[in-house]
Amino acid sequence: MLLSCNKLKTYIKDADKIDWLKIWDLFTIRTAEVESVVEVGNSFDGVVVAEIKECVPHPDSDHMHILKVDCGEDELRQIVCGAPNVRVGLKTALVKVGGHIDGIEITARPLRGVKSYGMCCSGRELSISENHEGILELDSDAPVGLDIKKYLPIEDIIVEIDNKSLTNRPDLWGSYGIAREICAISGHELLPLLLEDVKNDKEDLDIVIKNEDLCSRYCGLKIENVLNNKTPLDMQIFLHYVGMRSISLIVDLTNYLMLELGQPMHAFDARVVKSIEVGNALDKDVFTTLDGEKRELNHDVLMIKNKDEYFGIAGIMGGLDSEILEDTTTLFLESANFNAGNIRKSAVYLGLRTEASARYEKSLDPNMTDVAIKRFLYLLREYNKDLVVASNLTDIYPKPLKDGRINLTKEKLHTYMGIKLSDEDVVKILESLGFQVNVCDMYYDVLVPTFRHTKDIHIEEDLIEEIARIYGLEKIEATPLKLELTVKELDTIFNQEYEVKRLLALKYNMREVHSYMWYDTELLRTLGIEKEGVKLLGKKENNVLRDDLSFSLLNIVKRNFKNYEQFKIFEIGTVIEHNANKRVLSIIWAGENKKVVDYYMEAKEVVQSLFSALKNKDVCFEENVNEKDYFDKNLGKVIKVDGVKIGELNVFMKNLTNKIHKKREVVAVDIDMDTYVTLEKELRVAKNVSKYPTVDLDYTILMKDKKYSDLKEALKGFKSSIIKNYRLIGVYEDKYTIRYTVGSDTKTLEQNDLAKFKDRMIDYIRENGLDILE
Amino acid sequence: MEKELENLKEALRNELAETKKEADILNVKSKYVGKKSRIFELLSDLKNMSVDDKRKYGSLMNVTKKEMEMMVSDALENLDSQSSNLFDDTIEFEKELGSLHPITIVAKEVTDILKRMGFTVVSGHEMETEYYNFEALNIPKDHPARDMQDTYYLDNGMLLRTQTSGDQIHSMERFGAPLRICSPGRTFRNEDLDANHENTFFQIEGMVIDEGISIGNLMYVMKLVLSEVLKQEVDIRLRPGFFPFTEPSYEMDISCTICGGSGCPTCKNSGWIELIPGGMVHPNVLRSGGIDPDKYNGFAFGIGLTRLAMMKYKINDIRILNSGDIRYLENFRID
Repeated sequence: MLLSCNKLKTYIKDADKIDWLKIWDLFTIRTAEVESVVEVGNSFDGVVVAEIKECVPHPDSDHMHILKVDCGEDELRQIVCGAPNVRVGLKTALVKVGGHIDGIEITARPLRGVKSYGMCCSGRELSISENHEGILELDSDAPVGLDIKKYLPIEDIIVEIDNKSLTNRPDLWGSYGIAREICAISGHELLPLLLEDVKNDKEDLDIVIKNEDLCSRYCGLKIENVLNNKTPLDMQIFLHYVGMRSISLIVDLTNYLMLELGQPMHAFDARVVKSIEVGNALDKDVFTTLDGEKRELNHDVLMIKNKDEYFGIAGIMGGLDSEILEDTTTLFLESANFNAGNIRKSAVYLGLRTEASARYEKSLDPNMTDVAIKRFLYLLREYNKDLVVASNLTDIYPKPLKDGRINLTKEKLHTYMGIKLSDEDVVKILESLGFQVNVCDMYYDVLVPTFRHTKDIHIEEDLIEEIARIYGLEKIEATPLKLELTVKELDTIFNQEYEVKRLLALKYNMREVHSYMWYDTELLRTLGIEKEGVKLLGKKENNVLRDDLSFSLLNIVKRNFKNYEQFKIFEIGTVIEHNANKRVLSIIWAGENKKVVDYYMEAKEVVQSLFSALKNKDVCFEENVNEKDYFDKNLGKVIKVDGVKIGELNVFMKNLTNKIHKKREVVAVDIDMDTYVTLEKELRVAKNVSKYPTVDLDYTILMKDKKYSDLKEALKGFKSSIIKNYRLIGVYEDKYTIRYTVGSDTKTLEQNDLAKFKDRMIDYIRENGLDILE
Repeated sequence: MEKELENLKEALRNELAETKKEADILNVKSKYVGKKSRIFELLSDLKNMSVDDKRKYGSLMNVTKKEMEMMVSDALENLDSQSSNLFDDTIEFEKELGSLHPITIVAKEVTDILKRMGFTVVSGHEMETEYYNFEALNIPKDHPARDMQDTYYLDNGMLLRTQTSGDQIHSMERFGAPLRICSPGRTFRNEDLDANHENTFFQIEGMVIDEGISIGNLMYVMKLVLSEVLKQEVDIRLRPGFFPFTEPSYEMDISCTICGGSGCPTCKNSGWIELIPGGMVHPNVLRSGGIDPDKYNGFAFGIGLTRLAMMKYKINDIRILNSGDIRYLENFRID
């Protein structure tokens, strides 16, 4: 929202004592975020009021004129001008020789052979309006020779406030509310607005509210004999500076009131609108708004209408048929209050957000609708002395909003602020913001004006915010929390996940990645795979939530194959499985197909070391029965800990990975982290180490068509009291070497003990259908 | 005789000086003090000598032999105490190290600091109900935050959480008051992607519930966390803000880390960077969590972890964080 400091000054007593460039720093930390503060009106100099005394056509031009103008000097000045609106007696703006416009110096120069000693200016050339159709037309009483900046409010400071930071402050959507804040911040006095009272000695207008939930108040006034509909220049300049287009006095005044009070108004041509009913539209009805657009309505959209005839969309935009025309002299003025939620919903539905709807969305004070009409009347009268109020100020207000009342306990205020304020300070702050305060023993009895009571201020804490910010948040001291000496760790998931990540990165040199929650539609298309699952509403692409983390990581695998031959990545993330959140760790090995065995073996090693390092648990891999077609059925393994499935090891089918990159393979481990975090870390108690030496005995077994799992199963049955442990230590072709570490707790083993063991071992292996190298 | 013995010693000394390897020394050893050596020969001849000569040379020869043996063993020992600079000790292979995601690193840092102040780290759910994401947080049905434009609603009636704030409610329900929790996690907003906007980003929620908590407490915790994460003393300031779940609500700015507060393009010449929304927990939120607002109060805040990581590591395009592109990610290490 843009603000004019010139305008703000008019509401504040002794406004010149305020530094209008600096006050906004304070405003930012007291009230709302200021985006920018810009001085305007400095794009030119040397421009004065001049009157055209003579005007003859230029002999060598079809549109230029040669003028003699009076700019308060001894002699008239010769000016050549191409504007169409030149005429004798017109007072306009003239930049003299030596003056500047947009940094360019004006010199005396010939135009088609005739010398011009200056230039008449349009509004756009002076950056005070958009008008460039002709030169500026000043009032006939403008003093000739006067610097234009002394005549018109051209020099101003324009301030932009971040709209988002005003979301909760409907009262700040007009300059008058901003002025109230500035007064509170700077200790100045807010001046009352000048209004014209309506006597109400005429007839009421015919106004009916059909839907009181959506329209809490509707004020109307009929005004006749509005003959002057031309907006004065100073108001045009103001509107231009704050980003509004000037249209006509009546329309501009409705906008002006909205900018001043935050109250949107609408003026209908009273020739069209004679009576008003506020009610909902019918589905599929079509209505043409002011901007000429045909809009389809629905039954939630609130309309200003009369029976079947629509005049405007309540709170959003008026209709084309009832707009103010050049010959309009009688108007039906609306100042109403509409339901914030409904306006927002309709604006979204219609795709039409206007300055009015933006304000109504904030829950405006219904008690300012009549004030706005009286203010409008006052301002309109300034330019139309003979206007006639033709109706009562008709006010339909079924359930008037009353001031709020809050008891603020002094102790609570003290707790929040950490500082004790005096009653005088509290009262002063609250009153400066428009509250009324009655000081009691333990609390302040505070009356909240309706302009703060629509949704903003309802509870004690709201008042604490007001007091703290005006007092100065920078004066509140940072205070450490008191810490109880017993601190209990209530949740360990984050740290457990971190431990896993750190192990993978440190020990296995893996890279952690993050990827999106949904499948990449294009990847699914490339792979020819369909995924069903929970879907995002209102999206056609990338709209299926992932239920398989390692599969969704193929998107990242594909991207990295552009730059890397092989890599190892992992992610701990959420998937949605059976409509529920599930945390999963996925580890991916991606690289050349000839290395797939290495990847596979490392995958097993990583899983084992993960559980042994972090949980002291042994892992077992079992044959997988995988439902998913994209995994190799023969290589898939179920990972079990304590006999319970905790994850899977898989190799993606080659026909799938080929679509990502030729001759590459992808191995994936998925671990169910929800189960992982619930696993208790096994306690390993100290073990006794025998004082007698142990001996390593290696046996090489010929496997032929067998797998290690067969051997492992077989070895489980070989028992001996001297076995400390045994493990696979090497594989060469079909020769698998097992190392037994043997020893006794009671003696040093002798040759014959070892020989006995060896003989038993060889016999056992052979009994189990395997062969052993002696 | 004395002369010869002297010469033998001298010759041995010279030859040992030439040796470089153990084998060479052993060769020299057998030559000078071995079975076929001259000194051995002399010693075996000793029995043929006269008693006088025996007396005269016997001990001298034995001493010389001892000395020569000592010279050899010294030479051997010397060899082991010498540097065996026999390979290129300047070769370096670069071993690739793994990497954690920058968000993980920053989340760990922030949670570590908060843990020292007695906070528990909790983890919430990315798919969330409307109740926990909005209603329980005092965000009424017609609040703009609930718009389709901002929120990813799902076809199962749930949504992807737009903020980690729902964990305030979960934590109050799980643990009651007093309470100190922080909850790092992933959040989602329906936005178009560009260098500064992501639909998927990380926040960390913080909440303290106790008796007699002040606005100053909130400021202290924020100042400490940010100073430690950014490894520099930062100033913070509060500005009035508006969030339905806190009252009063504040926008917390930190003094610009680029210019130190004097004004630069990063902070739009204001000297401040808007970083953390927070405030005092709204009584309705306490009630949602089953906590009596007449007894307890507290503060809550939400730090944009993605934003913080970008500031810390000077990442200028937010999109690389979810790209999985190793070329970018390999730059981040483990701590």
